[in-house]
Amino acid sequence: MDTNQYIPYQVRIADIIDEAPLVRTYKLEFTDPSANFTFKAGQFAEYGVFGEGESTFCIASSPTREGYIECTFRSSGRVTKALANCEINDIIGLRGPFGRPFPIEEWYGKDIVFITGGIGLPPLRCVIWNVLDQRSTFGKVSIYYGARTVADLVYKEELDEWKRRDDVNLFLTVDPGGETKDWKDNVGFVPTIIEQNLPSSKNAIAIVAGPPILIKMSMPILAKCGFANDKIFTTLENRMKCGVGKCGHCTVGKTYVCKDGPVFTYEEVLLMPQEY
Amino acid sequence: MELKLISTTDIAAFFDGLLKAGKVVVAPVLKQSGKVFFKPVQSFAEVATEYIQTTFSAKEVVFPKVEELFTYKHNEEGGLDFNDYLDRIPETVIWGLRPCDAAGFDYLNVFFLQEHPDAYFKARYDKTTLVTMSCSTCDESCFCTSVDSHPGDTKGSDVLLTAMDGKYYVEVMTEKGSSLINNNLELFTSTETLSKERFLAKPATRFSMEEIKDRIQNAYDSVEWKQASMGCYSCGACAFACPTCTCFDIQDEGTQDHGKRVRCWDACALSQFTKHASGHNPRKTQTERRRQRLMHKFKYSVENLGIVSCVGCGRCIRVCPSHLNIFENILSVTK
Amino acid sequence: MKELQNKAAELLENGTINLLIGFCEDGSKRAVPCFIETAAEANTLVFNQDCKNNLSVYLHKKEVKDAVKIGLVANVATLRSVLQLLSENQLWSLTLTYLTVNGAGELVVLSSAEELEGYVQANFPTCRPEDQEMLDKLNAMSREERWAFWKDQLSECVKCYACRAVCPMCYCTVCTTECNQPQWIKTSAETSGNFEYHTMRAMHLAGRCINCGECGRICPAGIPVHLLTAQMNQEIEQEFGGKTGWSLKGGYALNSFKPGDKENFIK
Repeated sequence: MDTNQYIPYQVRIADIIDEAPLVRTYKLEFTDPSANFTFKAGQFAEYGVFGEGESTFCIASSPTREGYIECTFRSSGRVTKALANCEINDIIGLRGPFGRPFPIEEWYGKDIVFITGGIGLPPLRCVIWNVLDQRSTFGKVSIYYGARTVADLVYKEELDEWKRRDDVNLFLTVDPGGETKDWKDNVGFVPTIIEQNLPSSKNAIAIVAGPPILIKMSMPILAKCGFANDKIFTTLENRMKCGVGKCGHCTVGKTYVCKDGPVFTYEEVLLMPQEY
Repeated sequence: MELKLISTTDIAAFFDGLLKAGKVVVAPVLKQSGKVFFKPVQSFAEVATEYIQTTFSAKEVVFPKVEELFTYKHNEEGGLDFNDYLDRIPETVIWGLRPCDAAGFDYLNVFFLQEHPDAYFKARYDKTTLVTMSCSTCDESCFCTSVDSHPGDTKGSDVLLTAMDGKYYVEVMTEKGSSLINNNLELFTSTETLSKERFLAKPATRFSMEEIKDRIQNAYDSVEWKQASMGCYSCGACAFACPTCTCFDIQDEGTQDHGKRVRCWDACALSQFTKHASGHNPRKTQTERRRQRLMHKFKYSVENLGIVSCVGCGRCIRVCPSHLNIFENILSVTK
Repeated sequence: MKELQNKAAELLENGTINLLIGFCEDGSKRAVPCFIETAAEANTLVFNQDCKNNLSVYLHKKEVKDAVKIGLVANVATLRSVLQLLSENQLWSLTLTYLTVNGAGELVVLSSAEELEGYVQANFPTCRPEDQEMLDKLNAMSREERWAFWKDQLSECVKCYACRAVCPMCYCTVCTTECNQPQWIKTSAETSGNFEYHTMRAMHLAGRCINCGECGRICPAGIPVHLLTAQMNQEIEQEFGGKTGWSLKGGYALNSFKPGDKENFIK
């Protein structure tokens, strides 16, 4: 694959999980045993339905788990709709891994704060499991996650598992009006829940991903807690096609989100033209 | 580098000799519409002579407007077979490039082969030899001398020919060039260095990249961008005519069972270029799109790759339905 | 010219218009579209045979529409396309003033849609002789010859969409070519996809195109695409009567039904 960036791997859909309305997770296995696909948390891939095209999502599973990868996507355009119509054992195309990953090795010994909402959780889930699979290497782990309604929360079983673990602080919430009768957790927008449970910035890094409004509201709170802009990480999404910095679609100023990112520090994001 | 001479009467024989040797020769051809395009030709007689610049660049030879990346077909084992055609590129000569065009190939070479080398570009570029003609005339859209080049520049060429009083001065710059000359070496004689100066056109110099490199640092916030883009119709003519524009789209054509994946030219001026599936469009207006295009050519390429990606050929100005002027725009936003 | 410049300055000065779309000369003495907001800039305006762009297409542009009160320097083909756009109810948010020069070289100022209609009808352009000659030649060809002609021409198309971009009648915010569910038209510029695009566009313009000829004039590949819609228009006129860009009341032949419509094309 290092000679031709455009020929995909062939991957089989091994499992399908319906996470939320229009949101699915696919567990994918490589049909070629010699594929030797390795990646780092934060990288993405181009998932293709032949005849329809390719779509870009992060790899949502952790690199600590070998033999398969997972992706989570919402069915919205032509390719994601075709992907959603696939069944177990169907073969789809996969190109990757692409992009600059999270610098996890630089975070050993630090506290990690995850802030995300809705379908922003998949890009962070790879990091969460990467960290939890090497738990003793990191400090405190705090996760602030919410969605519009209970049904929109993704990875519901894993959320339960994280809730039960005593080495993870999970602050789970749904937007006001999104709770069900038997909802026992927080009700309120994610930034509100962060305000009520301020994270410490001492020896910590923060990762924020998700809807632009969430990012916009969370940044001042993190600043208040003392997080410097180079200690806050995010992952940007932009329209992508080639994944390797050639087709030009994902450019933000001089930056190619696909190869210079998609992981950026907030400091780097502030230096870019705000066109993403 | 080797320096040779060939008479104007022998050049046709050299040209036709390349065809006889089985090479595909792409040269400027005058069409009925009055425009000149690079096309494969069968004899020297077809080559256009009295023109300043072709309408489209010759980048199509190494970066086709539609390029099949691979075909796919489901096989009996339930998987797919892929086929690409990279081993079937013919030996090609592009004849009659201008020095600005050759500088464009130089840029394409850097762009496509750095970081994630593009196998398709490489396969075509390796099989292509560039024969460039120095410019003895120019028009007001030409501005190569403003972008680190000039009408007798050898940058990017395998062979540069300069017409001089009944003969051509031949600068053979690369091994590919040598190998081409060797096809009919008897037509050439060796020479010492000659001065090309008086045979070259003198395009007006609008600015220097030295000045622009500094002034463009603050250009993003210039209020002039709106005026600079008002006339823009949001089509792809400038990008498609440009020797250094490389943006493309990838599309599947076929069914889920069999078909092909192609890449085709795309243009950042088109309104949907950056639009997300959600409907969000980071560059919603023509002002933002034109700014990105010009900043990319004169600032971002310089920062990312070390070379300016505009070669001053003037095609964008000529081909634009409202003749938007790239060098006038750059001057106004860097005031 | 001076009269035009003075009038433009006056209209900008007294607030009748906030923006004037006209022509000025660029550094190479080419007549190019220009956008003037102050009276002081009015002395750069020109208007001559070289001023061919159909400036009415800019009336769809957001940055232009924001000005609301707009002056347009126009030849009669451009005025005809404005009339067509008015009949399609596309310019309702704008207050337009038109500046043109008649056959006698006099400046004419039109300040209302009715005045526009009157002027256009009194000076209605006919098909350019060189276009009619080409149409006659094409119509005299056999079907196979005509097919070969267009196949040869359309193989040169690079799908830059300049033809669509300069057309005042192509104002859809999302064009059929940009729809990918389903992918009606291939994006790649190979001959069959080029045919799909150009014939689709000719169909969408049949009975609406006002034959300014801009699409063919500016095509970078030199393809006379304006002949496709010119031919369609002649057919529509023959079958259903009526002329495009003739009246404020308009009426689109392909989406209106009159009991007297001939049906002799149904075989």
